[in-house]
Amino acid sequence: MRVHAPPASPAHPQLPSRRATLRAAGAGALALGATGGLTACRSAVSVAAGEGGARRGGSLTVGIHVDFTPALLFTQSDQALQQRLIYNTLIRYDEKLRPQPELARSWQYADDGRSITLKLRDDVTFHDGRAFTADDVIFAVENLRKPERSAQLASTARAVTGFQKRGEHELVLKLAHPVANLFDLFEFMIITDRHTLDDALKGRRLNGTGPFRFDRWRPGTGVRLSRNDRYWIPDRPYLDSVELRVYSHPDALLSALRSGQAQLSYGVSGKHLAPLKAAPNFRIKRYDTGSGAAYVGASVGTKPSDDKSFRQAVAWAVDRERVVQQALGGYGLPSAAPWPRSSPAHTEADRIHYTHDPGKARALLKSSGVSTRTRVPLGHPSQPLHTAIAEIVQYDLEQAGIRTELQPHDSATFQKKLISGTMPALWVNLHGFAQVHPATLAVSAYPFNEAKNTSGFRSKAYTDAVRAAWQQRDADGPAAHARYQRVSDQLLEEAFIIDLAIQDQVEVAAARLRGATLNKFSYLSLDHAYLA
Amino acid sequence: MTSTVSSAPAVRRGTAARHPYLAALTTTRARIGLVLVGAVVLAGLLAPLLSSHAPTAQSGRALVPPGTGGHLLGTDDLGRDLLSRLLYGIRTDLEVIALAVPIGALLGCAFALLAAVHPVLDTVVQRAFDLVLAFPGLILALAVTAILGPGRLPVIVVITLAEIPVFGRQLRAGILVQRERDYAVAARVGGTRRARLLIRHILPNCADPLVVQLAVSLTVAVFLEGAMSFLGVGVRPPEPTLGNSLSQALPYLSQAPYFAAGPLLIVTLLVLGLSLLSEALNRETRR
Repeated sequence: MRVHAPPASPAHPQLPSRRATLRAAGAGALALGATGGLTACRSAVSVAAGEGGARRGGSLTVGIHVDFTPALLFTQSDQALQQRLIYNTLIRYDEKLRPQPELARSWQYADDGRSITLKLRDDVTFHDGRAFTADDVIFAVENLRKPERSAQLASTARAVTGFQKRGEHELVLKLAHPVANLFDLFEFMIITDRHTLDDALKGRRLNGTGPFRFDRWRPGTGVRLSRNDRYWIPDRPYLDSVELRVYSHPDALLSALRSGQAQLSYGVSGKHLAPLKAAPNFRIKRYDTGSGAAYVGASVGTKPSDDKSFRQAVAWAVDRERVVQQALGGYGLPSAAPWPRSSPAHTEADRIHYTHDPGKARALLKSSGVSTRTRVPLGHPSQPLHTAIAEIVQYDLEQAGIRTELQPHDSATFQKKLISGTMPALWVNLHGFAQVHPATLAVSAYPFNEAKNTSGFRSKAYTDAVRAAWQQRDADGPAAHARYQRVSDQLLEEAFIIDLAIQDQVEVAAARLRGATLNKFSYLSLDHAYLA
Repeated sequence: MTSTVSSAPAVRRGTAARHPYLAALTTTRARIGLVLVGAVVLAGLLAPLLSSHAPTAQSGRALVPPGTGGHLLGTDDLGRDLLSRLLYGIRTDLEVIALAVPIGALLGCAFALLAAVHPVLDTVVQRAFDLVLAFPGLILALAVTAILGPGRLPVIVVITLAEIPVFGRQLRAGILVQRERDYAVAARVGGTRRARLLIRHILPNCADPLVVQLAVSLTVAVFLEGAMSFLGVGVRPPEPTLGNSLSQALPYLSQAPYFAAGPLLIVTLLVLGLSLLSEALNRETRR
C-alpha cells in the first residue's frame, strides 16, 4: 500500500472563525466516537472469526483444465484432484516425506524388511454405509497389480506377494523383498469399494470413504461432489459441496478465476499468472516440491541419439535457465537431474552437472564424429507449454550445430507413442514421480523404468543401481544417499533422459479460501478447507 | 459465339465501354481495398529487407517493449523479434492462401462442369459437396489434421476442401441459368459439342460471381488459417504465422498488449481490404 505524505501547510493560512472552530471540534468529537464504535464492532467480528476459525457451509468450484477420465482412475494422470476428495489413502506424507496416519492408524515393519503390519481405522465407512475393512486394502493392492489398470506403481504393488489378515482391521503384507518406496504406494493407492468397481471405471458411481460423496460426472463439464455427513474425521468437511469444472482453454480458466466462477485452480501456468499476481482477492502459493519436470528424451535405438556423446551434447546445449524463465514463467528450478530440492536424492552438484555450454556441445559432437547433416526429428505434444519448451530446445540445439525438425502431436497420440516406445530420435515432454521416493521414478515412470522405458535404454549398471535403491527398506542415512547417487550418476552419464527444469506446482486460490492442500501425487484434500 | 453475353449496357454513365472488373477497381471502395491489401502483401514480400532479425532467432530478452534494443515492435515470450515474425508471418499466410484458394476454386469449377455433363454425375457431385459442407471449417480442419498431423500441407488441404463446394455450387447455379439462354440453345441446335458449349460459351458468362467469390474466399481463408494456427493444428512452429502469433500473445494481453497488436492489425487490414474489393467487384458486375 502506498503511504501518502501529508500536504504542506499553505504559506498564508486563512484563520478560521470561532464558530467554525467550535463546529469543527464538535464534528471531530462525533467522528472520534463513531470511529471508536466501529472499531469496537470490527474487533468483535475479528474475535469471533479468530475463535471460531472455520465457517461451515458453502460451495467451492475448482477450475480444472483436463476432464476427469474414469478409465484412468488408478493411473497417475493430468487430472487427479478428485482422488482424495472421494477416496482416502492409507497414509499421507508430510512435507519431508514422513508418512502420517490416514486409513492406516499405525504400521510396523519387520526387521528383515519382508513384511509390514498395518493397523487400520475401525471407524470408517464407505459412502453407502458399508464398513471399511482389511479386505478393502487387499482388493486395492491386487487391483493395482492388474496390467489393464496401467498404474505406474504396479511394480511396487507386485512386490506385495501375500496377505495375512488379523481380524477386520489388522493386515500383514508379505513382500518379495524389502521395498524402499512402499509408502509411495500407500500414498498413491486410493481405497475404492470393491463391489462397485465397474461403475467407478465408467464414471457412474464412485463409492469411497472420502470427505465428499460423488454426485455426478458430466463428460466435458466436470464432477460434482457433496458433503459426506458420516466422514470419519468429526465435524469435517466444512464445505457443503465441491465442483470440479472443466475450462479447457487457459484463458477461459483465468477468466473463471477472475470473475469468481471458480475459487481454486492448480492448472494456471506460470505464463498466465501475471494478471492474478496484482489482484488482492487472490493468493498464489508455490509448491517447490515439483509437480513435474521438463525433459528431452532420446531414443537409443535411433541415429544419431544412439550415440552417448550426441545425447550428452544435447544436455550441454540447452539453456535451462531460459526454459524456466520463458516457458515456465519463472515457476521452476533449472536442473540437469530429475530431483526437486525436497527429494532425498537431490544434490546441487547433480543439478548443475550439465549447464548451458554450446562450445562444449560442439566439441563433443566433433570428437564423437556423429553426423549432424540431416535434421533430427524432435517430437512434442502440441500444448502451448510443450511447444514453447520444444522451440527453445530446437533453437539451442541449432546453436550447437544440431538441426532439428519439430514434430507436434496431440496429447493422446503422443501418450500412445510414449507408452509404446515409438518416439522419434528426440522428444520433449514432462515427467512426474521425482517428488516422492527416488526409487519410484526408476521403477514406475515410463521414461525411466529400468525394465522397459520409452528410450529403449537397458544397461546392467542402471538396473543394478535402481534395484539397489528400490530393494531396501526406506532409509535416510549416508548408505541410502549413496544408493540414490548411483541412480543419478547413471542418469546423468547415459543421458537417455535429459532433464531441463523442475516445474513448481502453483496453487491459485481466492483469498477467502483457507485450508486446501495437495498430496505428493496432486490429490486435493479439502478436509479442513472453508470459505472465510 | 465466342464472345461473352453481358446483360450490362455497353456504355455506362457516359464513360467508354470498360470491362466491369476494371471499372470496379476505379471505385473508391476498391481503391481503399487495393491499398490495404497491397500494403500487407508488400510488407510480406519485402520481409527480408524490412527486418534485421531472423524470425526464429531467440534471445534472452523476452517481452521487451517496442523500440528497445533494436526491436521496433519488441520481442515475444521467447525473445524473438516481433516485427520480423509479423512480416514473415504475413508471407506464410499469403503463401498458404494464394495456393489453397485458387486450387479450391479450380477444383470446384471442374466438378461443377463435370456435374453439368450428366444428371447422374450431377447428383454424385452435389451429394459430395453436401458432405464437405456438412462439416464446419474448424471441424474439417481438426479431422484433416488428425490424419495428416499439423503442418503447412494440412492447412492448404483444409482451405482447398472448404472452397471446392463453394465454387462448385456457385458455378453450377450459373450454368443452370446460362444453358437455358437463347445463345446456348442456338449453339446446341447448331451442333456444338457439349464440352465445347460448356467451356467456350457458358463458362465465361458465369465468371462474374466467381471472381467476387474469389475475393470473399481469400477473406475466409485468412480466418481459417488463423484459427488453425491459433488452435495449434496449423503451420508447425517455429515458423511464424498471424494465427500462431496471436495464440502466443494471449497470455500476455494485460502485461504486453503490443505482442498481440501487430497480428491483430494485419488480419484486420487484410480482411477489410479483401472485403472492400469483393464488394466493389460485386456491385460493378451486378449493374
